[in-house]
Amino acid sequence: MANVQATQAFYSLTLEPSSAPTAACTCNVIPGLKSQDQQIFEARGQRILLHRIVENEDRTEVKVSTFLDQDVFGIVRGVSAFRIPGTGTDQLVVSSDSGRVVLLNYDPDKNSFKRIHQETFGKSGVRRTVPGQYLASDPRGRCVMLASAEKNKVVYIVNRNAEGGILISSPHEANQWASLCFAVCALDTGWEHPVFATLEVDYNDAENDPSGEMYERREKQLVYYTVDLGLNHVVKSWSDTVDYSANMIFGVPGGQDGPSGVLVCCEDRIYYRHDKSQPLSIPIPRRRGATEDPERKRCIVAGCLHLSRARHEFFFLLQTEDGDVFKLTMAMAEDASGRRTSQPESMSMRYYETFPVAKQMLLIRKGYIYIAAENGNNKLYHVNDLAEDIEFEPQNYFTSDSYSPDPEESYEALYFHPRGLTFTSLAVDIPSLHPLMRTQVANPLNEDAPQIYAIQGTGATSAFKTIRHGLEVQEIVSSPLGAIDYSNLWSLKHRASDQYHSYLVLSSDYADKTIVLSIGDEVETMENSPFLTTRATISASLMGDATLVQVHARGVHSILESGTVNEWPVPSHRTIVAASANERQLLLGLSSSELAFFFMGDDGVLNQLEEMPEMSGKVTALSVGQTPKGQMQAKYAVVGCDDCTIRVLSIELDSPLEARSVQALSAVPTSIEVIEQIEPDSGTNVSYVHIGLQSGLYLRAVIDDVTGELGEVRTKFLGARPTRLFPVSLADSSSCVLACSSRPWLGYNHPLSTIYTLTPLVMAQTLDAARGFVSEHINGLCGIQGSNLLIFELGSVEKRLSTETVGLKYTPRGMARNPWNGVWYVVQSEGNTLSRETKKALRAKGDGVKKLEDGDVKMETADGDDADMKDTTAPAADEENDVGETDRHLGLSRGLGHWASCISAVDPVHAKAITSSIEFGENEAALCVAAVAFESRNWEVFVAVGTGQHLGAAAGADVQTKGFVHVFRLVDEGRGLEVVHKTEFPTPIYALLPFHGRLALGVGPELFIYDLGMRALLRKSRGLAVPNQITSLQAQGNRIIAADVSESVTYVVYKSTASSGAPAGAADRLIPFADDTIQRWTTATTMVDYETVAGGDKFGNLWVVRAPEQASKEADEEGIGGFIVNERSYLGGAPYRLELRAHYYTQDIPMSLQRTALVAGGQEVLFWSGLQGTLGILVPFVSREDVEFFAQLENLIRAEEPPLAGRDHLMYRSYYAPVKGVVDGDLCERFSKLSFDSRQKIAGEVERGVKEVERKVQEMRGRVAF
Amino acid sequence: MADKLRTQQQLESLQNKYIGTGHADTTKHEWTSNIARDSYASYQGHPPLLHYMSIGMGQPMEKVRMHCMERMVQPVGPAPAVED
Repeated sequence: MANVQATQAFYSLTLEPSSAPTAACTCNVIPGLKSQDQQIFEARGQRILLHRIVENEDRTEVKVSTFLDQDVFGIVRGVSAFRIPGTGTDQLVVSSDSGRVVLLNYDPDKNSFKRIHQETFGKSGVRRTVPGQYLASDPRGRCVMLASAEKNKVVYIVNRNAEGGILISSPHEANQWASLCFAVCALDTGWEHPVFATLEVDYNDAENDPSGEMYERREKQLVYYTVDLGLNHVVKSWSDTVDYSANMIFGVPGGQDGPSGVLVCCEDRIYYRHDKSQPLSIPIPRRRGATEDPERKRCIVAGCLHLSRARHEFFFLLQTEDGDVFKLTMAMAEDASGRRTSQPESMSMRYYETFPVAKQMLLIRKGYIYIAAENGNNKLYHVNDLAEDIEFEPQNYFTSDSYSPDPEESYEALYFHPRGLTFTSLAVDIPSLHPLMRTQVANPLNEDAPQIYAIQGTGATSAFKTIRHGLEVQEIVSSPLGAIDYSNLWSLKHRASDQYHSYLVLSSDYADKTIVLSIGDEVETMENSPFLTTRATISASLMGDATLVQVHARGVHSILESGTVNEWPVPSHRTIVAASANERQLLLGLSSSELAFFFMGDDGVLNQLEEMPEMSGKVTALSVGQTPKGQMQAKYAVVGCDDCTIRVLSIELDSPLEARSVQALSAVPTSIEVIEQIEPDSGTNVSYVHIGLQSGLYLRAVIDDVTGELGEVRTKFLGARPTRLFPVSLADSSSCVLACSSRPWLGYNHPLSTIYTLTPLVMAQTLDAARGFVSEHINGLCGIQGSNLLIFELGSVEKRLSTETVGLKYTPRGMARNPWNGVWYVVQSEGNTLSRETKKALRAKGDGVKKLEDGDVKMETADGDDADMKDTTAPAADEENDVGETDRHLGLSRGLGHWASCISAVDPVHAKAITSSIEFGENEAALCVAAVAFESRNWEVFVAVGTGQHLGAAAGADVQTKGFVHVFRLVDEGRGLEVVHKTEFPTPIYALLPFHGRLALGVGPELFIYDLGMRALLRKSRGLAVPNQITSLQAQGNRIIAADVSESVTYVVYKSTASSGAPAGAADRLIPFADDTIQRWTTATTMVDYETVAGGDKFGNLWVVRAPEQASKEADEEGIGGFIVNERSYLGGAPYRLELRAHYYTQDIPMSLQRTALVAGGQEVLFWSGLQGTLGILVPFVSREDVEFFAQLENLIRAEEPPLAGRDHLMYRSYYAPVKGVVDGDLCERFSKLSFDSRQKIAGEVERGVKEVERKVQEMRGRVAF
Repeated sequence: MADKLRTQQQLESLQNKYIGTGHADTTKHEWTSNIARDSYASYQGHPPLLHYMSIGMGQPMEKVRMHCMERMVQPVGPAPAVED
């Protein structure tokens, strides 16, 4: 095998997949469910997902649960679902960059996608003329059309044969040379021939006309393509000119349900067009308000149709770019006898709600609206009212009656009043990370594992997020129990058949006592409990039907149901050190290394086994297995001793305490639990032994049911404290383990991936002990934190990340951390948005203007008053907390060419809020930020912000684009900001970097070093670094890495006069010495080491480049007399070229990279975050064997299971440049999802067992990340 | 001669099938138009790229997509006048 990994290789893993939706549709894929109960088929990045809406009986709790999530290793561009007549479930269609159309089915037994058909129609890749950009399916499920941005369209006819199989026809092409396709939709024609409508522009004439006249006269056509099912071909059947600004079309129900035809959504207007009906038109209402531009035209960005086939009624929900959703209905003309005809008479629109701007809006028949949001959280709204009451808000109701359908004719604009949610309520807010602008891994609180600090979101929903790996916990009760610390607790039922727990036994080793609490409506101390309270308890349990057994150092105290107490004293000179019990069996470990075993008869009396075998060392922990359902006794117990071994003993009555196997450990076991858990592979119960060690390690092994041998050992380091284990069960009664080290971890089978997962619980303080807690109202867990009793519930275990949020004002662009504490400085700017000053000014004069404006539009006086009231309340709220609730809901006020921007100091650690904020005026937009300690100011830390003024202004406009660097002084330990001064630059500033007690910054292609002066920054050094525009700077020592907007990175060395001993006055020099051979449109870089840089580009590549040894050495020669100064430029660039070490296509655009460890005690990895919410890592391989193993495994899986959407995996990962030095871990992790045979085959090829391969794959992730 | 004709025909069919296939007399305008159209089509086809631009421009993705589509009509201005 040709090994391209000659140098360092990486293993790429996705920690959190992208959350940004590209397409979504509703579908019915689960057989046997009502047609009302629709599922959502969604594409996010390279994944396709199926969601279900799960609600409880009274609809008080709703959740969107993902039941299938598959990586297809391709760019998914469109999804659709349709029902072929006569079949039971929907077919799913995926269009991707594979040049193939893929028909999928959902297989409910295996919970997986089944590929029905895969038809190739073109080259792979995203190309201008290869269909895949647009996807539309006939509403009656007879055919699908795929179209490309230019020229090509292909139609597949799908039907069903007698055996129920799905047949797909050969492709029917409908190509048109030099025509651009703007939108595609399917018409509803009832059962007549299917028709697809497209919006097309023919550029042939404009192309060949030098005068530009034809370009001015270009037209947009609405074209119908009829699929003739009889003749089996596609013909262009009708076309007509539409408004040139048209961008979207929606098919109007036809047949018995409506008039058929299409809605053509244009800028500011919506038309109804059909070849058999009269056109109609209605303007899109604009927002009214003091800060709204009355001339701004909206267009439709998303929409969905609701059709009731039973009642022949339909309406559209259409969303504008502001997020305002309108309900559009159509009225039909009636014929002479009063019957409804299929001729539409008028359209009416009603302002419905304002939702986040959707990539796709779905109306679910159960009464929900799903917003697959373009930016920010996806949301599910419950529909309370369909706005059918005409009396309600008549000012927000509009009809098409007085509007001519002629695009040329002028018309009066319509205005409406936006408001808060009225007809719907938010049911589920699905946490999402897109768009993820920047991340930084840091640990200001010195927690066990570092946290990920992220700036995320756009507009008013922007946020600063603290992301932790962990499950969120809802604390219900936290009550102090006096001054002493408790060490363990047990929750006990009174009888085995009880539903709820009755006793809570807490034991304190320190005070050598036990207290008992009774659980009822309240949890309170029990005064005269049957338990022994003057000693610490080692174990308490309910055995038999109703015998409570309390083990303490001096004996076993068993309380029979009758109230009789039996006491078994320990033989003299011995104490009990460890104990464990199940329903019938009790095993004690004595201080003399002996074991004592008891079996409980039906009378509830414990019978001791006479034999007391001695172990090899002091017993430190032991556990008996849980009694299997329907049996009397468990088979095995596991005993751990201080000679670092564990032994599996048989505890069956016919062979009591016979040793079965021994396992050596790396440290003394402190806690052992034998638990039956479901093995996801086979679905059967398997006994697992969980072992916690003194060193903080945690192990899990399978006990072989027949031999008692231990196997499949998995290890994880949990924290600095000895690990203690507690068996608990989740709300869905699946058994799992809570492991307490320096923080608590939960070990469970993940519901989606079914892999055994360890996830920490997010708590301020660790737990000392935890048990299940079931009472009438609570089904959760109870635990001890020192002297506190804590009762809590676990939320969903599906999400492995928990997030804390601090709201921001505008889209965040950059952040910098205060070097001394956990305060971040976040710069935010928002394009095409009015700044706060402008808004204030507009509001100040708002009253006068409004009166006039109202008169102009001839609003009724009542509405005018209404509007005034709204606008007077709004600014008051606005001034108090800058972004009011309404603003957050309705979004920021837009204004073309305006920029709103600010810098905020955010304290996510203590205050968990913005502590100080300064707005930028004069149309400036903040772009980057750095916290710089200036040597000249005695290393005082200042914050520097690079801005751009009049960004995006066209050349020749009366304003000039330029940049500034603002400097702020820190007050109040960095929580406050004070303006110092600002310095003007000729171009916007995109990169700032603290460098040797000064500030390095990029001005266009030039790199400067500045020092802080009294009135402005003072220039110290200057050098031409890159060809176009510096976008990112990194430094180590005297080496600066400057990244260019399109030309990869350049290594620059800084030669200072101080170090060279040159005469005073000779300038410091910046010398570029190495650059790259490939153009990379760099977005983010980081230095992996002194020679190596890792970066990401706008096309979604990750790469690692390294300076050649000679260049590196030469650059570091002392002084400016060295070779490097006189080295000649090579081919118009720097003297040396960088070597590519690794290259990998990720699809998502990397926005931040960082070399960091992610887990306690973990190796350092290259962590990256992508714009669409991906969190990923590149793990450097440590051994050559691993590289070979995983490269081979990747190859075999590639061959065994080609990606679902038909893209070739190797081609996909080599999208822009051949993949190099990276093994795709996501593909390797597909191994456990393969069929049994495939796994066997692959495992055979790599000469390992299936389990071993699985373990290796999981360990690769578990060692360094989560 | 027949060979030459066939080559010619093959080239023509290629040019018909794959837009952008050049010929001996490709002008700079044709060539740059093609590249620009390819780029604009690629921006729309890669969702992350469209997302990136939409955030930078402060516009929803649909508007950016429309902008890209619209620019495909005449990406590099009108063709230069033909001298005869």
